[in-house]
Amino acid sequence: MIKLFSVKEKQERERRENAEQAKAGVKKASASELRLQKDISELNLPKQIKIAFPDGPNKLNRFIIIVSPDEGYYKGGRFSFSFNMPDTYPHDPPKVKCESPRPVYHPNIDLEGNVCLNILREDWKPVLSISSVVYGLQFLFLDPNPDDPLNKDAAKVLASDSRQFQINVRRSMGGCYIGNTYFPPCK
Amino acid sequence: MTGLAKEDAKSKRYDRQIRIWGRDGQRRLETARVCLLGADADGAEAMKNLVLGGVASYTIVDGDEVKPWDLADNFLLDKESLGKSKAECVSRLLQEFSEEVSGKFINERPDQLIASEPGFFKDFTLVLVHGRIGHEVLVSLEKTCRSHGVKLIFGRSYGLFGMVRISAEEHDVIESKPENALLDLRVNRPWKELAEYAGKFDMESLDDMTYKHVPFVVLLLKAAELWKQGHQGALPADRQQQREFKQFVRGLQRSKGEGFVDEGDNFKEAVDNAHYLWGGSSIPSELLEYFGSSSCTPTVDSSDFWIVMAAVKAFVDNGDGALPLPGSIPDMTATTDLYLDLKRLYERKADSDVARVEANVKEILVSLALDKNRISTEYIRLFCKNTSHLKVIKYPTIEEERQSITGSKSTYLKSLLLSEDTAENAFVYILMHACDKFEEINTQQPGIFDSELEADKERLKGIVNSIMSEAGLPTIPLSEEYIHEVCRMGSGGIHSVEAVVGGILAQEAIKLITNQFVPLKGTLVYNAIRGTTLNLGM
Amino acid sequence: MLVGPGFEPSEAILPFLREDCRVLVIGAGGLGCELLKDLALLAFGNIEVIDMDTIDVSNLNRQFLFRMKDVGKPKAVVAAERIQERIEGVKVVPHFGRIEDKSPEFYKGFHIIVLGLDSVEARSWINETVCGFLEYDDDGQLDLSTIKPLVDGGTEGFKGHARVILPGITPCFACTMWLFPPQVKFPLCTLAETPRTPVHCIEYAHLIQWPKENEIVEFDVDNVEHLQWCHKNAVKRAEQFGIGGVTFSLVQGVVKNIIPAIASTNAIVAAACATEVLKTVTMCCAGMDNYMMYMGAEGIYTHTVKYEKDAECPVCSSGISLTISESKTLAELIDVVSAHASVKGNISAPSISCGSMNLYMHGPLEEATRPNLQRKVKDLIMTNKATLAINDKKLPRTLRLNLTIA
Repeated sequence: MIKLFSVKEKQERERRENAEQAKAGVKKASASELRLQKDISELNLPKQIKIAFPDGPNKLNRFIIIVSPDEGYYKGGRFSFSFNMPDTYPHDPPKVKCESPRPVYHPNIDLEGNVCLNILREDWKPVLSISSVVYGLQFLFLDPNPDDPLNKDAAKVLASDSRQFQINVRRSMGGCYIGNTYFPPCK
Repeated sequence: MTGLAKEDAKSKRYDRQIRIWGRDGQRRLETARVCLLGADADGAEAMKNLVLGGVASYTIVDGDEVKPWDLADNFLLDKESLGKSKAECVSRLLQEFSEEVSGKFINERPDQLIASEPGFFKDFTLVLVHGRIGHEVLVSLEKTCRSHGVKLIFGRSYGLFGMVRISAEEHDVIESKPENALLDLRVNRPWKELAEYAGKFDMESLDDMTYKHVPFVVLLLKAAELWKQGHQGALPADRQQQREFKQFVRGLQRSKGEGFVDEGDNFKEAVDNAHYLWGGSSIPSELLEYFGSSSCTPTVDSSDFWIVMAAVKAFVDNGDGALPLPGSIPDMTATTDLYLDLKRLYERKADSDVARVEANVKEILVSLALDKNRISTEYIRLFCKNTSHLKVIKYPTIEEERQSITGSKSTYLKSLLLSEDTAENAFVYILMHACDKFEEINTQQPGIFDSELEADKERLKGIVNSIMSEAGLPTIPLSEEYIHEVCRMGSGGIHSVEAVVGGILAQEAIKLITNQFVPLKGTLVYNAIRGTTLNLGM
Repeated sequence: MLVGPGFEPSEAILPFLREDCRVLVIGAGGLGCELLKDLALLAFGNIEVIDMDTIDVSNLNRQFLFRMKDVGKPKAVVAAERIQERIEGVKVVPHFGRIEDKSPEFYKGFHIIVLGLDSVEARSWINETVCGFLEYDDDGQLDLSTIKPLVDGGTEGFKGHARVILPGITPCFACTMWLFPPQVKFPLCTLAETPRTPVHCIEYAHLIQWPKENEIVEFDVDNVEHLQWCHKNAVKRAEQFGIGGVTFSLVQGVVKNIIPAIASTNAIVAAACATEVLKTVTMCCAGMDNYMMYMGAEGIYTHTVKYEKDAECPVCSSGISLTISESKTLAELIDVVSAHASVKGNISAPSISCGSMNLYMHGPLEEATRPNLQRKVKDLIMTNKATLAINDKKLPRTLRLNLTIA
């Protein structure tokens, strides 16, 4: 068991240690940082997906994921998402938003860029990783889901007339009005 | 402050607890009058917690004056208290916790007050008793309290150990608020309107979006109908069939062609909640016991609780055997409209059940020549919402609790002493009884004077041994050490143990006053050495 | 044995508690107020308390050291004052501020730290700080004098827990993170398209409508005007869909994630924690091993569980220890690690970080960190002693490397 009693000796020792620690000046990684390092080092991205770290390679809690689908309705588009990792990651899920183009014409992304993806909300579990979310996003562009919409208008078109939906997506990716909403082109 | 502003201020102040026991519970607390016998730390802490919670009034009874050592473990005393009446000082400092509470004190020994003025206690909601009151006196206090419907809680710490127990003729709870209780969804025996509602869904004609948003309740009802067609009209009977049924539900899903099924959340929920088909709507055995008890035959003296109980029993007997429907449904995957339709369907059925129970209540009241409007619809509604987890608790008297350990009580204690998990705390229970006996004989707790520590240990050991051998109980390996520990502490209070006892006293008081949750049934033993508790239900 | 190893009742204990033993209480809320009182009455004479909050009216139903007239004042300061006024011979030093703003040295200065917190974040932070104090020798043996015991309490309504953490010996918060269930989150499409309950309407106003209509202003859960805005819009939305039951109280509960709290549970759990502090410091009794849950809604039920330490915990495990020479490059260090007996065969392509610094990473940062491979480790980490994190696809968890450069 521990002996907490030899106070003086201990205090002396602590003084020494503190001096050492002060010299060292290495900032400890938090549990969420440790987990992020693991996630990022094991992230194996397919060629349709790119990642960028705007704050440099030592700041992993904020990054951009760019999805460029090479098949499906969104083939040829380019969609970027911001990832903000909470201090409590992986206890809590990443906060993900579609940044560009905004708004995007997609049944599961609203005009503000909010994404309806189950693992980002109700089905998040700490065993999931950044990789799971990235694949979730990729899937969203390959197989948009009209049954749980966040953009009801787009979902209705997809459910009732997939050809019209394809046309709308194509047009939106070049920049156009659909209804009263202007969809800027993919960059 | 105006009445409204005062209400608003109160709801802000008590917000964090109103979220637990509601405005109703809070109102009951705010009309509760609590008496404390003995102003030592356990009792003072209990009262502190109750005043913080908003009780209407407190009365502190204690005949001692404050000694220097009292300051060492009692936060409700300060330097100025030295030499003054303990009841007065604790009462004064308690007042600081609330501007609303009305505090009183009586500078008299509790046992003298009980003996000289038994009627004193009849107007309290609750009396907290904390140690150092002789057995005979307690028995007479209990008699007074029981005859006036005043509930009693005893609590005391013995060094590193503590004990809490309740005494009341009967405590009835409507809102026991169990966690994770099964809901009553009636999918196994749908009433006519529910069956019709489910029947209206033509699954094949629904578009994909709606198909994935048909509430699981409807899916289960439909699946059950189909299942019954292939099983001579019977629902899944055993585990094997239950597994098959779940598979059956999965198999009902629309395929996107080539056998590819895009599983909907509603179907997942149907599988996860399939157990509602074979459980969740039967009458709990506890309730059947209440139905069968003599109290369920109403008389002019019956309480509202038992009259409504009898009315519910009549509802079950004269109906299809089901309890009144509680009427709430959980959130589930569904479109807004489908969910709200279903919710209203359940609410309407619950309303009509309440109306039928209310008619029974009136009939009973009339037959007893009582005011037929005596019991409010709101009360009956609350009762009907909670029928499957009502609680009726009867407590043994002090005499029953203290009588020598024989028969079933001895067998019970023996089993506790022989089981590894419970042995030590069962021994602590006996040890605390022995300490009380010691106190009766020697007028003080063991170990008070350091010089007599060894002698007290031997005396206490003698008492423990005689209790154990009389009852034929096995001893435990650590018995000597436990006896040593209790003597070593003497009556020297360890504040953190007293605070646990005080906390538990207050918690049980709140349950008794608000008439919510389930109060302690037997005797609670707290062992601070191990950080464990044992609930002895004799 | 009922007493701790080597315990003798001694006259030295009281002066030790009164004069020498330094206790830190983190949080001066529901548990904190009780803890301060309990510890002071258990004869602890040197107590410090840290809390960043100010007193709110809704605290007064349980935080008994505060009065109506104190509303708005810092909790730590008022609590310290009240304890000192009432109890003689105790010194309570308040710190009004965030725990993250204190240096590790501040926390090192205490014999024991007691937590009366309500957030996972704060618990994780302090856990990482004290686990960072642990030192192991080259054989992986823990230096017992580097242990900073934590006693933690938590409550919710009639439920609570008390636990003792001896970092390096018993499980730390990170070992048992699963004990904290993640908050319930609703799918955004439910909020947007198929709301069914008042909570759905409130979350819509809070999470979707607010950012849309107040793009520049961040929603502040402590701002009454923001809450009222949320209430107004949630009511509107509920009416539009025919849903009832949106109240201001519910809006507060949902948006602020209010945990119900009562005086009695706080008193019980805090006192159980205080007893454990006394036991851990004096060994007067064997300590709790190591997690007690308390349930008071249906009767009274407690259950003590001995949770197991996660041998591979990235926060508290010993990991491996290595000493390398000053001339070694990062590539050479990686070779040494890969060949280390305890991980051999489990490492094929390790990534390596030091604190927040990613020294060499596989995956998308490979190119950016590749130049580091040829640099000297000493020049990269700028110290002689550090804990590094090793990741590898074959390793289930992050491996700690205690590195000394000699």
